[in-house]
Amino acid sequence: MEYEEAKKMIVDGLTKKMKTKTKFYFNDLAKIIDLKPREAKKLINQMIQDGTLEYWSSGSTSLYGLKGAGKQAHAEHED
Amino acid sequence: MKHETPLLDQLESGPWPSFVSDMKQEAERRAKNPDNIEYQIPVDVVEDIMGLLELSYVHGRTHWKHGGIVGVFGYGGGVIGRYCDQPEMFPGVAHFHTMRIAQPGAKFYTTEHLRNLCDLWDRRGSGLTNMHGSTGDIIFLGTTTKQIEEIFFELTHNIGQDLGGSGSNLRTPADCIGQARCEYACYDTQDLCYDLTMEYQDELHRPAFPYKFKFKMDGCPNGCVASIARSDMAFIGTWRDDIKIDQEAVQAYIGGEFVPNAGAHSGRDWGAFDIQKEVIGLCPTECMWMDGKELKIDNKECNRCMHCINVMPRALRIGDDRGLSVLVGGKAPILDGAQLCTLIVPFVKAESPYTEIKENIIEPIWDWWMEEGKNRERLGELMKRQGMQKLLEVTGLEPDVRMVQEPRTNPYIFWKEEEVEGGWDRDINEFRKYHQR
Amino acid sequence: MAFISSGYNPDKPMENRITDIGPRKYDEFYPPFIAKNKGKWLYHEYLKPGVLVHVAESGDEVYTVRCGGARLMSVTLIREICEIADKHCGGYLRFTTRNNIEFMVDSKDKVQPLIDDLESRKFDAGSFKFPVGGTGAGISNPVHTQGWLHCHTPATDASGPVKAVMDVLFDEFKNHRMPAHLRVSLACCLNMCGAVHCSDIAILGYHRKPPIIDHEYLDKMCEIPLAIASCPTAAIKPSKVELPDGKKVNSVAIKNERCMFCGNCYTMCPSLPLVDKEGDGIVLMAGGKVSNRISAPKFSKVVVAFIPNEEPRWPTTCDVIKKMVDVYAANARKYERLGEWAERIGWERFFEKCELEFTHHLIDDFRDPAYFTWRQTTQFKF
Repeated sequence: MEYEEAKKMIVDGLTKKMKTKTKFYFNDLAKIIDLKPREAKKLINQMIQDGTLEYWSSGSTSLYGLKGAGKQAHAEHED
Repeated sequence: MKHETPLLDQLESGPWPSFVSDMKQEAERRAKNPDNIEYQIPVDVVEDIMGLLELSYVHGRTHWKHGGIVGVFGYGGGVIGRYCDQPEMFPGVAHFHTMRIAQPGAKFYTTEHLRNLCDLWDRRGSGLTNMHGSTGDIIFLGTTTKQIEEIFFELTHNIGQDLGGSGSNLRTPADCIGQARCEYACYDTQDLCYDLTMEYQDELHRPAFPYKFKFKMDGCPNGCVASIARSDMAFIGTWRDDIKIDQEAVQAYIGGEFVPNAGAHSGRDWGAFDIQKEVIGLCPTECMWMDGKELKIDNKECNRCMHCINVMPRALRIGDDRGLSVLVGGKAPILDGAQLCTLIVPFVKAESPYTEIKENIIEPIWDWWMEEGKNRERLGELMKRQGMQKLLEVTGLEPDVRMVQEPRTNPYIFWKEEEVEGGWDRDINEFRKYHQR
Repeated sequence: MAFISSGYNPDKPMENRITDIGPRKYDEFYPPFIAKNKGKWLYHEYLKPGVLVHVAESGDEVYTVRCGGARLMSVTLIREICEIADKHCGGYLRFTTRNNIEFMVDSKDKVQPLIDDLESRKFDAGSFKFPVGGTGAGISNPVHTQGWLHCHTPATDASGPVKAVMDVLFDEFKNHRMPAHLRVSLACCLNMCGAVHCSDIAILGYHRKPPIIDHEYLDKMCEIPLAIASCPTAAIKPSKVELPDGKKVNSVAIKNERCMFCGNCYTMCPSLPLVDKEGDGIVLMAGGKVSNRISAPKFSKVVVAFIPNEEPRWPTTCDVIKKMVDVYAANARKYERLGEWAERIGWERFFEKCELEFTHHLIDDFRDPAYFTWRQTTQFKF
């Protein structure tokens, strides 16, 4: 899959769900682009690198979201 | 001191090292700043964390909140966000994030390296650490958001050192002292630990697992890093030939010239050493006996529990055909209860570059878990949900009676169609030729 | 406090960035006698509590002096450790898995001056900085977690109870008079960042009240689906709530009887705090081990369902632990771990001897493993 195509699918997919939630598990993203985890990881890493996505960590678990989306940034005073 | 700490002060008495006294000395040094350090976070940060901790002692409740956003760019782990819920009272620790620093093998250090870490953390953080955290990392305890990238930059550029893991990552692997200073070590724990750490840096920093994953390396079945309980994949050293016996040394133990159990029981009079009672009688497989003056071991029956070797280290030594056992699926209780690791590979040679371990064991298991694991499901839980058979299927490992404590006690075997002669599709008319309706 | 740049450029985070370099390689930090003799050790011996000698095939001897330390450590103290290592050990040292510090020297005559130096160093208020011990059939340094010092879901403190307990067990840290080694561990909540589930004695922080719901702020502070998904027992569901002022807000409802008090929802949602002065306290577990020596590794068992937090020195927790340790030491056979002893005499006898009360809370009712802990035999003791 081309990177731009994958990125569009992820951005569209996450934007659609933005009203209810903004943080997703890795496997949720892999499902959106319908790739095996290892393949999906390369593309998703690239989306982190170019600032499309950002991590959110509970310390024990990691989540992904569109950069700046959600209520956490405000709640954590990091916006 | 900025805040009164009457409750914490009560933890300064008694002989055991007092963390309160240590925090106080750190607070005082920061206040005086004899070395003219240009502190990059509030100078009174230690006083504020003491004030906050005192408040927790008054309330019986923590005053920390979690934060998930902070981290270094491109890494999903290594930083844990913390905010205090009384920032006006304790502004120094309003933002107080933890950084995990990957520890060196077996936690050997030069003072030069430790001082470099101290200097960095003194300038840009609280000056408080954990040596070490539960998984093994050095923990830098408390800094501001702005300093995180600065610390990472100096850490990588000036100290040649990376962050450790947190979140749904490979966590920083940890090892016992191994061959560096232990005659029981059946493989080079430090080398395997370092090799896997470097091979899987991407897995360590960029989370794509369903949950955390831990490797731990124990050089022998004594298990000094608790790999069997505290890791998802435990590498435990073992051997498959004979325990080496020095009969003269056995006699020296019997004769009282050598102190049994390496002197570990020296504080109490347990009476004269009795090899029958203390070694032969405690052998779990009863595979040892004295034949006149000779100690005999039926090595085929030995399960390598280490007891006899621990008791008589000068007389008994591990065998020469060494390698390791791989056990998987250990974890602490959440959610389905605690699990110990289950044996899946009784023996594999542990030789660099460890290709068999990586390609035949680690990677197929990860592929399975990454695809099939539910969010926040540890490997051990997936094994319970999908079964040990599935794990054998994905790894291609042959079933081995050593993998179980006992065979199943129910006969409810889910036979697969291809395992049954003739398959499952049958012709009802053919059946009715012989059986009336 | 002028800002000093490390060289990092926030506008171009990838510029000149170094990543994925891992820890420093282990052999950079080996003392010369370790590098020389690695893999060629013959045997070891504890010369006295806290002091080991390892003898190599080459005839070389390395003497290790082990001392305890609080795992919470200031850079000032680490620098003092460095000063000691420079003075006695050629600038090398190591830490153990259980937060002990090990100083190594290459000849016997260097041992006593090192011990004297370590034992002479005390904090102003009188506690030892570097008590020598923690070896053999004694009680080593407890592993533990963060507690109130830096965690957001602890049910007790960590450093405080460990300090209090180790003051009580200090003589055993400095002695070799236990039947076998005895490992004490502490985790400040049931998530067990420090996995204590296989310790001879485990001190575990435990909450007993479900979270409080901050309805007014919940929907502003957190994402409700994430809070719901965070619950391991599916006890949280969405709900509409009417605030006292009549305003209707989106929030959550918690099925309290399903809550296992893990605090995972609070991690995802700061509007669901669960810490509570009366609710929180300590569970004591006993009889676990990780070693394969003689018997297989085993889990610790819950022997006291709840002890309130008694900060600053947790006297009841200390008393119960001391009692268990003393009874074990007086009754177990040489080489017998606490759990092996309890299994040999039977848990009914363990409770009797340790003067512990057996309550319904100690009978397992959590999922499958429960049945396997009930007694299916007439073999029991009166």
